[in-house]
Amino acid sequence: MKKIKSYIYLFLLAMLLMTTTGCSESIMDEINKNTSNPPVSSVDARFQLTDAIMSMAFTTYGGAYAWHVASYTEQIFGDGNAQMMYAELRDPIVTAAPTTFNNEWNNTYHNLLNISQMITKCESGINSGQLDLLGMGQVLKVLGYEALTELHGDIPYSEALNDAIRNPKLDKQEEIYADLLKEIDKAIGNLNAAVEQNMVSVVKEDILYKGDMKKWLAFAYAVKSRLLLNGSARYRDNVKLALEAGEKALENGFEGAELSIFNGVDADNSWAAYFRSRHYSGSCSTVANLMEERNDPRLQIYADDIFETGIIYAPAGNSTLAATIDYVGAPAWVRNESAAIHLLSKASLRFILAECKARLGQDFKEDFKEGVKASFEDYLKSGKDYVTNGEVSLASFSAEDYIDALPGIDLKEVMVQKYLSQSRDEQIETYNDLRRLRAIGETYVEMKNPNNTSNGENRWPLSMPYGNSDVVSNPNVAAAFGSGNSAGYYIFTLPLWIFSN
Amino acid sequence: MLSPAFSISISAEEPNKPDSVAISAYDTTLDEIVVTALGIGKERKSLGYSVTDLSSEELNTSGTTSLTSAIQGKVSGVDIRPSSSSPGASSQIVIRGARSFSDSNRPLYVIDGMPVAANPDYSTGNSTRGADLADRSIDFNPDDIESISFLKGQAASALYGIRASNGVVVITTKRAHKKESKPTITFSTNLSAEILSRKFHPQEIYSQGTGIQSYDPNAATNWGPKISSLPDNPVFGGNNQGHPGMYYNPKLEQAGLDPWIAPAIYDNIGDFFNTGFTENTTLSITQTLDKATYSFALSNSYQNGVVPTTDMNRWNVRGLVDWQLAKNWKTGFSANYVSTTIHSAPGANNAIVNSVYQAPAEYNLKGIPYHIPSDPTVQISYRPTVYDNPYWWAANNSYYQHTNRGFGNAYLEYSIRFGAEENMNLKIREQAGLDVYTTSDSDVMEKGSAGSGGGSISNYGVTKNIFNNLFTVNYNALFGEDFDFDAMLGSEIEDRRSLYRSYSGSNFNFYGMPTIGNATVYTSKEYESRARTVGFFGSLSLGWRSMLFLNATGRTDVVSSMPRNNRTFFYPSVSLAWVFSELGGLRGNGVLDYGKLRVSFAEVGQGGSYKENYMSVPTYSGGMYTYSPVVYPINGITSYVPYQQVYDPNLRPQNTRNVEAGVDLEFFNHRLKFGYTASYQDVKDQIFSIPTAGSTGYRYILANAGRISTWSNEIDIQGVILRGADYELNLGVNLSMLHNEVVELAPGVESIMLGGFTSPQIRAEEGHTYPSIYGTAFQRNENGELLLSKGLPVATAGSVCIADCTPDLISGFNLNGKWKGFGLSATLSWQHGGRMYHGTNMTLNASGATKESIPWHEGTIVAEGIDVATGEKNTVEVDRQKYYQAYYAITESGVYDMSFVKLRDISLTYDLPKFGNFRFQVFAFARNVLLWTKLPNFDPESSQGNGNMGGYFERFSMPATTSIGGGFKVVF
Repeated sequence: MKKIKSYIYLFLLAMLLMTTTGCSESIMDEINKNTSNPPVSSVDARFQLTDAIMSMAFTTYGGAYAWHVASYTEQIFGDGNAQMMYAELRDPIVTAAPTTFNNEWNNTYHNLLNISQMITKCESGINSGQLDLLGMGQVLKVLGYEALTELHGDIPYSEALNDAIRNPKLDKQEEIYADLLKEIDKAIGNLNAAVEQNMVSVVKEDILYKGDMKKWLAFAYAVKSRLLLNGSARYRDNVKLALEAGEKALENGFEGAELSIFNGVDADNSWAAYFRSRHYSGSCSTVANLMEERNDPRLQIYADDIFETGIIYAPAGNSTLAATIDYVGAPAWVRNESAAIHLLSKASLRFILAECKARLGQDFKEDFKEGVKASFEDYLKSGKDYVTNGEVSLASFSAEDYIDALPGIDLKEVMVQKYLSQSRDEQIETYNDLRRLRAIGETYVEMKNPNNTSNGENRWPLSMPYGNSDVVSNPNVAAAFGSGNSAGYYIFTLPLWIFSN
Repeated sequence: MLSPAFSISISAEEPNKPDSVAISAYDTTLDEIVVTALGIGKERKSLGYSVTDLSSEELNTSGTTSLTSAIQGKVSGVDIRPSSSSPGASSQIVIRGARSFSDSNRPLYVIDGMPVAANPDYSTGNSTRGADLADRSIDFNPDDIESISFLKGQAASALYGIRASNGVVVITTKRAHKKESKPTITFSTNLSAEILSRKFHPQEIYSQGTGIQSYDPNAATNWGPKISSLPDNPVFGGNNQGHPGMYYNPKLEQAGLDPWIAPAIYDNIGDFFNTGFTENTTLSITQTLDKATYSFALSNSYQNGVVPTTDMNRWNVRGLVDWQLAKNWKTGFSANYVSTTIHSAPGANNAIVNSVYQAPAEYNLKGIPYHIPSDPTVQISYRPTVYDNPYWWAANNSYYQHTNRGFGNAYLEYSIRFGAEENMNLKIREQAGLDVYTTSDSDVMEKGSAGSGGGSISNYGVTKNIFNNLFTVNYNALFGEDFDFDAMLGSEIEDRRSLYRSYSGSNFNFYGMPTIGNATVYTSKEYESRARTVGFFGSLSLGWRSMLFLNATGRTDVVSSMPRNNRTFFYPSVSLAWVFSELGGLRGNGVLDYGKLRVSFAEVGQGGSYKENYMSVPTYSGGMYTYSPVVYPINGITSYVPYQQVYDPNLRPQNTRNVEAGVDLEFFNHRLKFGYTASYQDVKDQIFSIPTAGSTGYRYILANAGRISTWSNEIDIQGVILRGADYELNLGVNLSMLHNEVVELAPGVESIMLGGFTSPQIRAEEGHTYPSIYGTAFQRNENGELLLSKGLPVATAGSVCIADCTPDLISGFNLNGKWKGFGLSATLSWQHGGRMYHGTNMTLNASGATKESIPWHEGTIVAEGIDVATGEKNTVEVDRQKYYQAYYAITESGVYDMSFVKLRDISLTYDLPKFGNFRFQVFAFARNVLLWTKLPNFDPESSQGNGNMGGYFERFSMPATTSIGGGFKVVF
């Protein structure tokens, strides 16, 4: 018995020892170690590049910004008796609500954080000296901020993405714009150096160009060209500079920046995924009428009778049709889960060049023709196999014949063709053009939606409301958003700096 | 004064408990022992804080499989919000208001001396789609419980350390008490049938359509022409198309049937919901021998829900042994095995009841086939299949949860009496336990499902392994007549390991085999985590002349889940009880038998879950997407991005301070008992995932911020109304009034989201009670008048706080009576105030499906309000249909008062005369039978979410039910 007792005492002592030694800092550190996820510093920046590209295309340029803006530009008719109906009716409940673009706002900034970590790693971290990866990061950074500022105006920029600052201040769009132009020049410098040095730091993870630095360089010039043209209402000289940058892009072999990784299996095109989830995208008469006037073969793809109702497109702003579900026709490509997403299409660059040349009094026919041709190819590639009834007449898709049949080719026709081309998936760019041209008093495509004014007040958004996370958690943005009944209504009255003069 | 520890002693001095069959509601004595923290039994009168305990007789276990519903309405200060009456439905239980904005507010559960997991393993997230996920309290069979104590205040629970800030529920399972030569066998069973507690009755006058002129067999709304007029419809009517008295429905044609039918009215809601069924059976055997006592039980609970295919099946096996090894040595163990399976159904965005409630009355949802004859993946429904046809859903899809769980502990105890008059007692106790379980869940969407055309399957689960070791040394001494002294020291280790895994597949090759093997896209994920808490604690108690009792405790916890050098924290508590009725002048006064004032102060902390900043593989879902459109790796390429949450390396433990004061009075020979407790709780330095401005690049920062304070007032009254030789009637009343306020959130943060849609959401909002409803509101002028644009209401563009959820008063009335062999008990719940978002009512109003909407279908309205264009009184006349559709598009219209009075349960028992060794009891009961509520059409106790938003956010949630049943119990 005594022996048993002493064993028990020993056991009790052991228990006490175990308790006291089981909680040293190093043991606790070991227990709390995250074994399932890597720390930030140890991940090679090339693994960050893949999603930097994906998120930029899928979320920033192909997500809710595009879906809503497409209704404002009348390139897509919003139906389905829900969110997009309210957008189509220009109801501030959607158009001015900070929740409408909250996901895209957050995800774009999150992607910019990812990109800024890439840039930091290339400048002074584990990817030090990889100018190719650095240049790509800088191009993507410009694309992300360009989208944010051109959609929202003054945004957090200099204080954004800083771990120490929870309430970043708003920077003036003018300053951001100037800085983005500097940043794209840095990118061009680094990409040039990478081309010269034949750098190949990344191949597989570069889902845009598979490590082809020349293509990245061309893309950087194209981005610069577009950025310059977008600022041309403010700076008229930009037209010339945009032309120079655009021509550099062509010289370097720009064939479009389109993300073509989508396969309908583990990666779906964003417009198709959106349509699969919500039947909110219809074809709009504003596009269809322009196509009809031109006997345009793209109409076969643009206004597809998906629901076999015979109503292949709807007049912009029609409240009855906006309330229907599965009724109005839609572009065939919204069912193509493998369709590419454009960050900047070949056609768009050609139309930028054509516009610049037209404004400078130069011959723009070649660019115009190449633009139309590229658009025809894009429509066919994305939509031809998804048309509901019958086949698309391929014979009708001759750009040469089509152009020959046009009554005249002028700046207006350039802008109309750009509008039709961008109806595919570059509506954000169209929205920029519409606002830029308004600023200089030019109208080439007339907006027909009767809801663009209500009680004599403008209801066509001049910008997008800020994201809700900043409206709720950042007093600087909350102040800019406003409060009370008129909260968010600034988007109907205040044109952005860049789109005014 | 201290009874030895947790395990109920088997020494002969222990008073025999009354037979468990007999009802023995309120004849408790003052020397009654209450189970307190760490299972320490204390005399009730010595407590300086309030503890409510319920015996097995007071629990209402018949006709329910859930512990939380067995205690609803019984305990003051405890708010229980069930998500629904579905099999395995989660419920939120919060003691004295929330302490954490974003983390769990559920209490710690302790069973037979060991903490056990009771939180849900998976959150329902924003709760906007998918099925409810059970919390792990579903594994506890309410019928196994002998007694249950609620340690509500922090002074009561402080010895449990950081886990106890939300209060503690201490459960003791059933065991033997009487020394008997042969074992006692108890068999009990009860069966019940369930129906909807409130059946929704839609309008049956107007048809599907988008306007009074336009019948539309695809519309999502029921604003169409009168059903009786359909044969006259110019497009679909048969009167001028050779089918007099009939109309054309293309859905019938899809189904291969004659599309011409005569208008008729169908009870789609009655057709769809089943009569549910619940069974609870327990077989137990207990015995007390010379040196040992044992108890074994086997039980089964089975429930078939009112929604087709939903069910739950639970098996519990448990064994308990206490063994007196030698004079001073004692050992024992408690072991439990549980298997729980649940089939549930989705709510909100992919709700199954949505298509049932919204079905047009003229559409025969049950009668018309749910898929086309040639292809089972092509659904037929009265509207496009953005939502599944509920019958197709029931035939093809499922949400399945399965848990296998074992928990229990073993202990060894040494105790010795010593001292001159054996007036001292020393007890050393070592207890170790395990709680181990594996949950395997599966969400199956067959090929052809709405929103996921190719179908998908998601198999996910967690394996948890929780080890707990508790070591205590207890010293107790009586010094003369006056002083009673008690000291305790101890340590505790809790070590938790979890492995979460998920395997998903989508795009099935073919219909009929919705398994991973038939998928064409796969993803898998694993996440492993470990955590450890080591605590050292002590307590000191001093009693003087059975009148003054002082108790102080202290505990230091070291937790792994905090940053280095910030892991150790100390929490004190002190309480004082003054039994003033022991004063000479008051003794034996004939009116007041007992009076006690009590006051306590305590601090308890809560740790965070700190990690070094890390990267993760990005995912794409949510927002407008109903599935994950991009899944890494894509073609073998994967990617990493910064995780959306950043961690503050200076994280400090969260601190809850609580001051509690109260009084207990007993009058008229203990026939009337009154207790009042006021508690003020102040939670500072909350650790939570603070939503950050997106422009920081992150969505959340885990840091300290925010403060929430709560006043809780609790009143408990128990009275013997009648008492005679063979009869007794008792009434118990408990009232809880809770007022909390979110004093501050993080700097610059006005509110944080707990769940919901874009609008509405459930949020914590500065300056409001927690939680509150946030969404679009009607625009109004400064006088509060509605602003109208073109005759229609206008919403605010941004979301604002539109309602505070917390009720003003939660109360329970418990009636208990017995006469001869008969027993009666009833529980009435009364909730006053409190508001919820009821998306179902709102949506059904917006789609013209409710009876309320009947006057809105025809005619015009000049709504009262101010025209924004003119600033004058509105004169614009609009269609009523248009007006009410616009009205019910604005979230504020979906906020309802959720006050209710409910007869929660009523039961009648009869003890048959003893027959040989057999004692029989038969009983009949009903649950949730009578309901008066301000909420139209539905039972307010049905909502979305298994977390902090639970109870306040409803949208096509699973329904609540009424049940009626009976059973019997035999003891021999």
